Amino acid sequence: MSNLKPGGQSGRKKVQVSMVICEAEERRHRSGVNALQVDPVLDRLYSAGRDSIVRVYEHERYLQSMEHHTDWVNDIVLCCGGRNLISASSDTTVKVWNAHKGFCMSTLRTHKDYVKALAYAKDREQVASAGLDKSIYLWDVNTLTALTASNNTVTTSSLSGNKESIYSLAMNPPGTIIVCGSTERALRLWDPRTCAKVCKLKGHTDNVKALVVSRDGSHCISGSSDGTIRVWNLGIQRCIQTIRVHTDSVWALLATENFQYVISGGRDKKVIMTELKNQDNSVVVCVEDAPVIKMCFTADNQAVWVSTSESHIRCWKLPTERHFRGELSMPQNPISTIQGGAAIKQAVVLNDKRHIITKDSDNNVAIFDVLKARKIEDLGIVNFQEEIKNRFKMVYVPNWFNVDLKTGMLTIHLGQDEVDCFAAWVSARDAGLKDCPEPDQKVNYGKLLLQALLEHWRMDTDAETKPYFSVPRHIPLIFSEVGGRTLYRVTVGDTGGDTETALLNETVPSWVTTNIEDNCSGKFIKVQFFLQPHSSIPSHLLKQDRLKKPDRLVANDFIQCRKVAEHVVEKLLGEGTAGSPDVTLSSNGTTVDQIELTCNDQVLDPAMDLRTVKHFIWKSSADLTLCYKLLNSK
Amino acid sequence: MGANISQLERDIGSEQFPSNEHYFGLVNFGNTCYSNSVLQALYFCKPFRDKVLEYKAKNKRTKETLLTCLADLFHSIATQKKKVGSIAPKKFIARLRKEKEEFDNYMQQDAHEFLNFLINRISEIILAERHQNSTNYIKSKTSGENGTIHTPPEPTWVHEIFQGIMTSETRCLNCETVSSKDEDFFDLQVDIEQNTSISHCLKCFSNTETLCSDNKFKCDNCSSYQEAQKRVRVKKLPMILALHLKRFKYMEQYNRHIKVSHRVVFPLELRLFNTSDDAVNPDRLYDLIAVVIHCGSGPNRGHYISIVKSHGFWLLFDDDQVDKIDASTIEDFYGLTSDTQKSSETGYILFYQSRESL
Repeated sequence: MSNLKPGGQSGRKKVQVSMVICEAEERRHRSGVNALQVDPVLDRLYSAGRDSIVRVYEHERYLQSMEHHTDWVNDIVLCCGGRNLISASSDTTVKVWNAHKGFCMSTLRTHKDYVKALAYAKDREQVASAGLDKSIYLWDVNTLTALTASNNTVTTSSLSGNKESIYSLAMNPPGTIIVCGSTERALRLWDPRTCAKVCKLKGHTDNVKALVVSRDGSHCISGSSDGTIRVWNLGIQRCIQTIRVHTDSVWALLATENFQYVISGGRDKKVIMTELKNQDNSVVVCVEDAPVIKMCFTADNQAVWVSTSESHIRCWKLPTERHFRGELSMPQNPISTIQGGAAIKQAVVLNDKRHIITKDSDNNVAIFDVLKARKIEDLGIVNFQEEIKNRFKMVYVPNWFNVDLKTGMLTIHLGQDEVDCFAAWVSARDAGLKDCPEPDQKVNYGKLLLQALLEHWRMDTDAETKPYFSVPRHIPLIFSEVGGRTLYRVTVGDTGGDTETALLNETVPSWVTTNIEDNCSGKFIKVQFFLQPHSSIPSHLLKQDRLKKPDRLVANDFIQCRKVAEHVVEKLLGEGTAGSPDVTLSSNGTTVDQIELTCNDQVLDPAMDLRTVKHFIWKSSADLTLCYKLLNSK
Repeated sequence: MGANISQLERDIGSEQFPSNEHYFGLVNFGNTCYSNSVLQALYFCKPFRDKVLEYKAKNKRTKETLLTCLADLFHSIATQKKKVGSIAPKKFIARLRKEKEEFDNYMQQDAHEFLNFLINRISEIILAERHQNSTNYIKSKTSGENGTIHTPPEPTWVHEIFQGIMTSETRCLNCETVSSKDEDFFDLQVDIEQNTSISHCLKCFSNTETLCSDNKFKCDNCSSYQEAQKRVRVKKLPMILALHLKRFKYMEQYNRHIKVSHRVVFPLELRLFNTSDDAVNPDRLYDLIAVVIHCGSGPNRGHYISIVKSHGFWLLFDDDQVDKIDASTIEDFYGLTSDTQKSSETGYILFYQSRESL
């Protein structure tokens, strides 16, 4: 990995730590597939999508995954005769890959927002990238592939003048014309050789989401969210044809080599092939299960691979002359299918703030353990709401992480927004730590997870701090600016490597390092509360004027009611001496068991902790008030 | 003062003076013009006045609320022997100060805040009273049975008069799914621009806003933050359309609110063009019936007055003073064409009534 300079960035914005709970090998796309490319020489299909992974299939069989992006991959191009792949992502980066071996060679961080589209001029080995930051950058592929860790600066030319978010981009193979489509509803054209503006073409009434340019640069076809396909003569700078074959937005376009036919796909789930000379002559290639996002010709140009907002990729035969003439009907089934997986669509954090219940796009329900970063139970197709209800426990543990489902997998963010990663203290017993010598010792969930995630990074730490939990080595660990750009991604197992250790030394934010090294017990969360004697308590039993003014106390939020009762016996009743070794028996003979604590007239279980009382019984942000009374001794 | 009152009667002319109508000023109890100006506008909002007086007639001896105080005040104006004069809304102000801490002082308050509070409070009072009556009713009817029937609350007459519905439609630019959300309103709060009209400002109110860069939309369908286009339009047009011109802008560099005196023309007749495709009554024609005017240079200083239309002519209420004015005078309250900071008398809350309800 070259040109990763995380150190300089961390000073400005707060850095969050994230992990993705995934399988060791994610062979199937989890969610929609945004981009497709075919390598005819090796008979390979490259697909990339919302789960952030680029997958490679050879002879239609899964070969490998290329993982390095941290958000949706929106577009890919295969260049240098199939040796290299360039990818554009919502993580705001463009990455350069060795396509044959499947590793990331370098990362370009020039864009400031989602990178939505790429364009490729084959004859010049030039790639352009564009996105929601409204910018278009031109890259020389040979320069990009020559980047190394020490030589990692690239110069890029940018095309100026565009004013809105770009959703589509196209270049002709000789690289003489580049065109972009945006929410401006117009096409803008430049000459990539000089970066000079050519013209702006108006006509569409909504976002332009798909573009193709003819080889000679004389014509261009655009597909728009207004539902139309427009053909433009770039010489006279006019729209010469408007094709209305779709009933909804057009999102994907392909043109045959000689610009004789256009193949279009869109939100109406259809792929349609239309003869440009005679636009009434069109044939429905297929009807998919979901909106069509991308299409790509097969090596022989006789069929198209089609991807949708769901995870399957299907190959459909294209119509021939005889189909157009109506002599043959189109086949109902695809030639082949690359099966996709399910995306997690819903996730609910259970009350223990450790387990997450999820429901995926196939309606399967599962339980995950955040501390172990893995799925622990498959429940199959069951009633999701019912399961949540069944698993309700009356315990309150503060939030300490955020959950994100953008990739169709669970991403856990630590240190995001206002959520305090170190807020959740639980007893070792409640955390299920069996070999802990003191079951009442408090452990911190955030600290436990961070220790596990960074376990291999600092191996020199003494054995005493060995984490109680481990997470699988394949779990991706991501450092990013809160709500912003990714600084560094590494798998947990790789954190021990020399290069990785050095990079981590620069990247791991201080809020992580100081807390996982120290025993952060100074950071217990306090709760303020009032203790009020019940009117039934004989006043002679109370010290001073307790009936007039309730006692105001501060305690750790995980203190159990039993402890509060002990305090009542020891400090508030009779003349019990402070610091008495036997706290359960005060001088007047009252025992802890005789103290009944109530909150909002509800009797409290001695084992319930204060934060649970506050959250489930007090139900107010005002200071908690507990009431105590004496039960008659038998 | 007496000379002035007779002056008003003389201006109107005894022949022209509408029978059964009273023009009474309201005494200022120290910066209570924010309340006086709004109360006058509401009093000359016929549907509202009628309902308040009807409430007064129906509820003889109930415990004091802000609504009973208002009803007493309206009743007292409506039953004056004299045609013109002034009256002290003592009980109402005392009750208001008791009900809302923010108004319990002698400082200048925001007239719109007061209007908003008053309308909401009245609807709460009506709902609470209705609830009490219905539970009594249910108790007497179905004693012994445990089942309670839950029906959505019937709109109160306050809702029938002032409530409209706006709908905000958000379209994700990735999956293009449109999600819409309806929201009730008692008034529309409109940003204003220099040298424009209220129609223009209402159009801008419904301009498409793109949610982008750090302000992206969390799309449920995409499970992620995406760009989106958002538009707010009116779905149900109210009987009385109250438009609040946002003339007090918070300026960071001064760390306080500054008055925006922009000239915004408000016509006597208004039609809304920012209605949604499924709007129930998009073609309603509105007539201007009252305007609350802010005079001065800032939110915490200055004065409120109101102009109202009654029986075809316009009156200006300035606390206890009442004057007949020419309709052409309304132009004086559009605002200033130049942005120089100086005191101005500008329309602040506009009351339009739909013609079919007149």
